[in-house]
Amino acid sequence: MLNIKNLHAGIDDKPILQGIDLNIKAGEMHAIMGRNGSGKSTLSNIITGRDNYSITKGSIHFDNKSIMDWTPEKRSLEGIFMSFQYPVVIPGVNNTYFLKAALNAKRKYNGQKELDAAGFLKIIKTILKELDMDMSFLQRPVNQGFSGGEKKRNEILQMLTLEPSLSILDETDSGLDIDALKIIAEGVNKYRSSKRSFLVITHYQRLLKYIVPDFIHVLIDGKIVKSGGKELALELEEKGYNWLDS
Amino acid sequence: MKLLDFQSEFEKVLDRKHFSAKVHPLREKAFNAFLDIGLPNRKWEDWRFTQFKNISQKFYKISEKKHSKITDFNFAEHNISDVDTITFYNGHYKEEFSDSIPEIQLLNGLEYLEHYNWKYDYPSDCPFELLNTAFMDSGLNIIIKKGQSIKRPIRFLIISSGQDEIMVSPKIHIDIENNSSATFIEHHVGNSSDFLINTSIQIKLLENSILDHIRIQSNSSKTTNISNIKVDQSEDSHYNFFQLAFGSDLSRLNLDARLNGKGAECSLNGLSLSNKTQQLGSHIITNHYSPNCNSSQNFKNILQDKSSAIFNGKTVVHKDAQKTDSRQSNKSLLLSENALMNSNPQLEIYADDVKCSHGSTTGALDDDALFYLRSRGLNFLNAQNLLIRGFASELFDLIKHDPTRNFILGKFNNWLNKNVKI
Repeated sequence: MLNIKNLHAGIDDKPILQGIDLNIKAGEMHAIMGRNGSGKSTLSNIITGRDNYSITKGSIHFDNKSIMDWTPEKRSLEGIFMSFQYPVVIPGVNNTYFLKAALNAKRKYNGQKELDAAGFLKIIKTILKELDMDMSFLQRPVNQGFSGGEKKRNEILQMLTLEPSLSILDETDSGLDIDALKIIAEGVNKYRSSKRSFLVITHYQRLLKYIVPDFIHVLIDGKIVKSGGKELALELEEKGYNWLDS
Repeated sequence: MKLLDFQSEFEKVLDRKHFSAKVHPLREKAFNAFLDIGLPNRKWEDWRFTQFKNISQKFYKISEKKHSKITDFNFAEHNISDVDTITFYNGHYKEEFSDSIPEIQLLNGLEYLEHYNWKYDYPSDCPFELLNTAFMDSGLNIIIKKGQSIKRPIRFLIISSGQDEIMVSPKIHIDIENNSSATFIEHHVGNSSDFLINTSIQIKLLENSILDHIRIQSNSSKTTNISNIKVDQSEDSHYNFFQLAFGSDLSRLNLDARLNGKGAECSLNGLSLSNKTQQLGSHIITNHYSPNCNSSQNFKNILQDKSSAIFNGKTVVHKDAQKTDSRQSNKSLLLSENALMNSNPQLEIYADDVKCSHGSTTGALDDDALFYLRSRGLNFLNAQNLLIRGFASELFDLIKHDPTRNFILGKFNNWLNKNVKI
């Protein structure tokens, strides 16, 4: 589903990613772990099309198509989603309006009929319930006045609404208490299927207790220095990252 | 236009048959005061941002009878449902295009002055207000009697049309007596070429009265539009002002709200949309003279191309105005690198037990927010539109009359469609 080859990228002249190879197949869940500044967020931003990075070498394919020239919206419409580490506050735009606009953009792209208010509400009600969110969420401006946990839940709400095939969860566990973490993990786990893939980016092993990955990659200084199964998380928890430094 | 040019036009005013000679002393006094202070220039602190090339380069004549004939004006385009409309065309009251509103008292200028036994003589240190008094030609005066609640908004449709360089000077009084309420819509429209419209509106709110004042400035992009609004508020009165300004080449709103009685409140709000080389200015003063009054100024600007805008806002809390609660905010969105915003929020406080805040921000659309929306599948244009709408939306929520709000939203959307590009 996602195939990254020898990716080199940076900001201005500063290299950040220095030869990433990553292959995520349909139905797989991969986790990327690493310290602050190792390039985790750069990688997720580049996959979703943020334009302030320069890519100097390598390729990214999604469903066998090169996505390097795609706009962020095209990537989204094709099925790539990122749950933001720091979801952005959009004053004056209520959540319903935003979600409905996003969902209808996707439906239009897929040649489906756009939903009216009632049709949209029907879909969103079920998802809200799954995430233990109140209907009042919908009337509030996007992320404005939301607690850290509410913001992250709102991201997952968007994921479940837009039904992407590749979901990138960027530090979704940060700012969450354990109850909220469990609810989100449950939502994500229910969403897992043989057709959907995930890339989970995290500092800590904590999240990976609830969302169990198939593969774990350790990112240090813009390179994947070690890959392994879910047991690698425990090893990292025990030993830290230092033993992997070259 | 030089002072001598104003002089020659003023002589024409005095010769006019249908202007009552009884008003001449008032006009002359104002005109002499105007000659004493002259036209403002950039050395005047309060006028330093305002570009005067229009007024200095043109020669505006007073509006003649021939300018009162309505040609090619499309009323339907400016129709707002569920309002009563009074129409003025190039400085002439047009009875045949006006609704009759039996519930309210409508007086012409002379009747109004007589009604109040000539107690008004319009002193001012503002040259344009003095010019308005000297040249006043149109406008009607509204009196809402004690205890009356007028539900249907009263709209003054002020049309500027035609090819001639003319100036019009509407003078409007609105008196809301005790325990009364009304909504007044001041709607500036028309496809005039070079036009100077210099309006003066004097509003008096007696105890416990409410006025919602909605101003829509949608003149042609060649008009110079100067508006002088003075509001005097008695105890527990409420004044709510909202303006949408996107018309005119140069515009300057001088709004002065005076909270004279305790417990009075005013909420002053505006949204200016400018493009090309337009300059739209809002010069807002709130004067707190009495205790326990609340006030807010919330002005937003969206600027495209090489346009510029001014927010010159001042809140003055005089020494007796304890327990004042005032807020002042100016936020501006620059859609072009060549746009210029002049923002000057000011506070003057002479009382010691008050709560006052003020702030100003100017910037481009937030890149993080744009990326966030695009990452959810909205294209660049829709993402921009959504953010701009979000920026402005709290102001539209202040308009209580649904058809008027929808009308204004329609104008806002039109502007966005024409001016927000990829």
